[in-house]
Amino acid sequence: MWTSNRFPALWLLPALLPVILMTVYPIGHALWTSLHEVMILFPGEPFVGLKNYQRVVASNYFGDALRNSLVFTLIAAPSVVILGTLIALFLRRRFFGCEVVRSVVLLPWVLPGAISAVLWVWVFHPSFGILNGILRDLGLIDTSVPWLTNPQTALLAVAAAHVWTQIPFAVILLMAALSAINAETLEAAAIDCRNPAKRFRYIVFPEIKAMIVLLLVYNALTAFTSYDLVYAMTGGGPGTATTLLSFQIWRESFSMYDFGAGSAVAFIVVVISAVLIAAITKTLPSDLFGSS
Amino acid sequence: MPGRLHPILTFTFAALILLFTGGPVLLSLYGSLVPDRVLLSPDRSILTEGPNFESYRYVFTGQLPDSYLQESANRAMISDAARQVPGALVNSSVNALAAMILNLILGAPAAFVFARYLFPGKKLSFLYLILSPLVPAVALVTPIYMMLEWLGLVGTQIGIILVHTARALPFTVLILSVFFRKIPTEVFEAAELDHCSRFQAFWRIALPLALPSVGATGLFAFMLSYSEYMFAMILSGDAGTRPVSVVMAALARNTDVSWSLLNTGIFIAIVPTLVLVVLVWRFVVEGLIGSAVKG
Repeated sequence: MWTSNRFPALWLLPALLPVILMTVYPIGHALWTSLHEVMILFPGEPFVGLKNYQRVVASNYFGDALRNSLVFTLIAAPSVVILGTLIALFLRRRFFGCEVVRSVVLLPWVLPGAISAVLWVWVFHPSFGILNGILRDLGLIDTSVPWLTNPQTALLAVAAAHVWTQIPFAVILLMAALSAINAETLEAAAIDCRNPAKRFRYIVFPEIKAMIVLLLVYNALTAFTSYDLVYAMTGGGPGTATTLLSFQIWRESFSMYDFGAGSAVAFIVVVISAVLIAAITKTLPSDLFGSS
Repeated sequence: MPGRLHPILTFTFAALILLFTGGPVLLSLYGSLVPDRVLLSPDRSILTEGPNFESYRYVFTGQLPDSYLQESANRAMISDAARQVPGALVNSSVNALAAMILNLILGAPAAFVFARYLFPGKKLSFLYLILSPLVPAVALVTPIYMMLEWLGLVGTQIGIILVHTARALPFTVLILSVFFRKIPTEVFEAAELDHCSRFQAFWRIALPLALPSVGATGLFAFMLSYSEYMFAMILSGDAGTRPVSVVMAALARNTDVSWSLLNTGIFIAIVPTLVLVVLVWRFVVEGLIGSAVKG
């Protein structure tokens, strides 16, 4: 790491300026909105302080939505990273047809969210869904399971679909990180340590840890703030079984036209995701943000 | 190289991965090749009826499928949105390629100085970059729309490209700086001894050594823009500027559209993108597995 006494503006501003342009005013505007009563139906936008926040937290959906969002994130983010790591480790091998598998893994990525939702509704469909068909043929179930309309399975089902959409990105970055490991280190490890699990734990994992933490953070953020796939699959139901907190931002703003409350939910989401990210980077210390 | 696995185990893993990632897409290929009445009936299948390309013909030529022309057929089963798919693919590709190139050009230098230098203001600018994506996009839709309207960019592809670039940039910088930090310090020390300037160290050493990883990061920016829906929807104007994600969502949410036509749309939208992504990815994989960075 080299030291420089001047801020390298020429190197940083090209990246910082577009981000600043698209965040400073919009975030400021959203923050202002969350502190005012902004409703399309009523003229005037009086300052109400934290009243929007109080109203949102006291509302009847808040507890359910918060719990669903947390469960959804806690299932989805680790699943993506663990499955992604396993697939990436496997795809580094050469075997007959490895090129095909390496390409097919990218398929979920090239589908827009609305389409992934349609495909997975189809997979989980109670009468002509493929999943029920397979389970029936194997004799594991007698009657079809209504995956998306049963409150017990709906959140799991949408989480599976969400994981599916995020796998390719994780695989790509992890394969890249795996390949950046010094080949000699791996050869030495192969000689010194026969146990592959131990080799992964002590040699490979520390090398790809920064990437794993980065992926965990990215996926926690995506799972906690995105709702389009879930909304397209279940509309938040049955009941409130798949209602997510991030979906309430949209509902308050664009369905109830209560922009103050919508922005208030957004900033509650910001605070919780910041806590999640801090928790991830604290439990898995890596040089991701460090200046070592 | 990793150790050897039993062939049967290898086959099982490969089959499971294929089934999980490719299975739902295969279903849609099947759905596009049979009319709805075959798809939804338990005792008829593609084996008894043979493949049917009428939906494809409709999307490309506008000639109506025969099932639609039959008497008492449901008129609502055809949607003009399906015919917009090929044009939307072009729009999406332009947006995504522009966002990808802008991301790499703007992001790589920043990632390089973040990875290799200590300088005043580093913590602050880095924190800003990683904290800015925390705010959910839904909350920013209104102010960003107002801003772009003021700039006169609503309804143009430039507006969409601008937003997509800015949304992917923090992650591009983060990912690239992880890769740049993996390059052994000795390489740069040697370069400094040879009086390499900072730009030369970046352009001649860091970039070529991390090229496959840069490719992977570029793919990320490409796909983020390609699949983004919300901003694409509010910022695109008439059918001429609408990207794939918007057209496909319109098609998917229209419950009157026949399954066959929807699946045809899906498949037409997938294939060119998949070819493009796989080409880039193969280049990346070859670079990654063939010549790993040597210390």
